[in-house]
Amino acid sequence: MLRSLLSGVCCAALVAGNVTAADLPQAKDSYFAAAKAALDAKLSVQPITGKAKNIIIFVGDGMSVATVTAARILEGQKRGVDGESNVLTIDTFPYTAMSKTYSHDGQVSDSAPTATAMVTGVKTRNDIIGLNQDAVVGDCEASKGKEVKTIFEMAEEAGLATGVVSTARITHATPAATYGHTPDRDWENDKEVGDALAKGCKDLADQLVNWPAGDGFEVVLGGGRSNFVPKETADAEDEGKTGSRTDKRDLTAEWTAKSNNHLYVTDKAGFDAADLSSGAKLLGLFDRSHMEYELDRAKDAKGEPSLAEMTTKAIERLAQNETGFVLMVEGGRIDHAHHAGNAARALEDAIAFDQAIKKALEITKREDTLIVATADHGHTMTINGYPKRGNPLFGLVVDVDGTVAKAADGKPYTTLGYANGPGAVFPALEKGKTDAQPAGVRPDLSTVDTQSPDFLQPALVPMESETHAGDDVVIYAWGPQAHLVSGTVEENYIYHVLSNASGLGQQD
Amino acid sequence: MQRLVSVVFLVFISAAIAAGAAFGAASTLTFSELYEKGSDPSAKTKALTGSEVSIVGYMAPPLKAQATFFVLTKMPMAVCPFCDSTLDWPTDIVLIKTSSIVDATPFNFPIKVVGKLEVGFEKDEETGFVSFLRLSDAVFERL
Ligand SMILES: [Zn+2]
Repeated sequence: MLRSLLSGVCCAALVAGNVTAADLPQAKDSYFAAAKAALDAKLSVQPITGKAKNIIIFVGDGMSVATVTAARILEGQKRGVDGESNVLTIDTFPYTAMSKTYSHDGQVSDSAPTATAMVTGVKTRNDIIGLNQDAVVGDCEASKGKEVKTIFEMAEEAGLATGVVSTARITHATPAATYGHTPDRDWENDKEVGDALAKGCKDLADQLVNWPAGDGFEVVLGGGRSNFVPKETADAEDEGKTGSRTDKRDLTAEWTAKSNNHLYVTDKAGFDAADLSSGAKLLGLFDRSHMEYELDRAKDAKGEPSLAEMTTKAIERLAQNETGFVLMVEGGRIDHAHHAGNAARALEDAIAFDQAIKKALEITKREDTLIVATADHGHTMTINGYPKRGNPLFGLVVDVDGTVAKAADGKPYTTLGYANGPGAVFPALEKGKTDAQPAGVRPDLSTVDTQSPDFLQPALVPMESETHAGDDVVIYAWGPQAHLVSGTVEENYIYHVLSNASGLGQQD
Repeated sequence: MQRLVSVVFLVFISAAIAAGAAFGAASTLTFSELYEKGSDPSAKTKALTGSEVSIVGYMAPPLKAQATFFVLTKMPMAVCPFCDSTLDWPTDIVLIKTSSIVDATPFNFPIKVVGKLEVGFEKDEETGFVSFLRLSDAVFERL
């Protein structure tokens, strides 16, 4: 018995050794050939081991693995090509790693500690920006001496140019982590800081405009205008609305007063007209709060640039610096639409984020610019059921045999769904009430337009706002030292890759 | 007691009949069709002004108890702790004015509303609430 087994092994090995790839029965299979071509291409990829002059960190806020997959399918289906095998720009990055996104005190984190991890190299507590884990949430006194330095501050001190771009308020957690140090991410304007102002804590809008690092940001583009403007001043776009500040300070005026080359714009026309060729510094605040979702951008009253347009303008300005630059670009509202339980807006924003990355690859050189694209944390959206290849992403699950799939309640269901959030059919408990409310019955989706952009995907647990998720996210890397992005790493490892590649924060 | 029940019953019947008629005849308008750009109403909105329309949306948590109005929103109206620290109305909301006291539905259940479309700024004297698009004499049903 043993002998015959051994001889069998021997012969199988011999046979395998004699067969050439071309002889294999699957040799002409299109999947086989395409994957072989992908391997051949990979064999010729050489790591770029030199120093990175420039660094761009793209953060897709809440861009879970499922979000990337769904955006890929949607982008393909919108162009009329096969969605499943479609290739986003982010899919072309040669090196990837899994990022562990937990924070110092949270199994599931929010954007404040996660962005802090990426730009400073330390994990801190949920809700805290730019302070270490010894800080206490909301405690101004306890935050003293807990500041950690961001790679943007190191860049400014080293004479590099810096920029921050986001579709969210520019004082929102992710962009704020580039310049801010605060024990409460909600301290976006002086009114929010309240009593802590007297203890010496400053709001994030103030910290941005009066950032002490080097000569400050060269480019700042995003939303959140009301945090920079006093409540006595009318908003530049929304009739009847005003700023939010209670200290009578107009930080946009403080910005333009810094030099006669500090520009401030509030709409698409101003953005297009801003001439940065002679080294002007640009502050663009395009909405009172967050900028529009990509799906709604065309209807914005005064017009907003796209994330790709903002990214292009930022890189063109920052590249004027001979020493190099550090830029953060955030797709900030992938996260917000997920919180709303609305996959259509989340995925359109994810596609807009990918288009911004495409622009960056086009106008930078792989030899001198390290581009890291990642998410700060995940979300609870899943791609579920056994939908057939090419099934409309927002549609009901249709099985491979062409029949509409039915759940155990006899009703159809959508491919996309959330673990929790407003799409639940059980109402959240009303405020002030303690009695459980009657359970809802799942609606019959066969008569519902699930492909409407306003449709909320079904959720299980009722929540006013869908939550973040704790699963790993992907880090994608391109350029010098990108090969160090591999394996499963801590989220704060990203900082060390950026530091190692650029030399920022390294002892000479 | 019996009289009250029959009155309630009658009201219910007539409301149901009115609702049935309204849900049948109304033109459909969607949130994405309301505006051209910013706060400029679309051609469709202008054309349907004064006529019966039906819109699908969500009932925002009532501004006060025993109200005969509510705000219809494109998406469920709730504060997302990580998006906004204060509640701010989106620009594309529709004020719904009903003839009877509103029986609130949960903020996350889609409803279909039918009523007469009114366009133009109006300030409610009692609440100070300013609206631009309204449906008056409206009825609604949960989808
Ligand atoms: Zn979030």
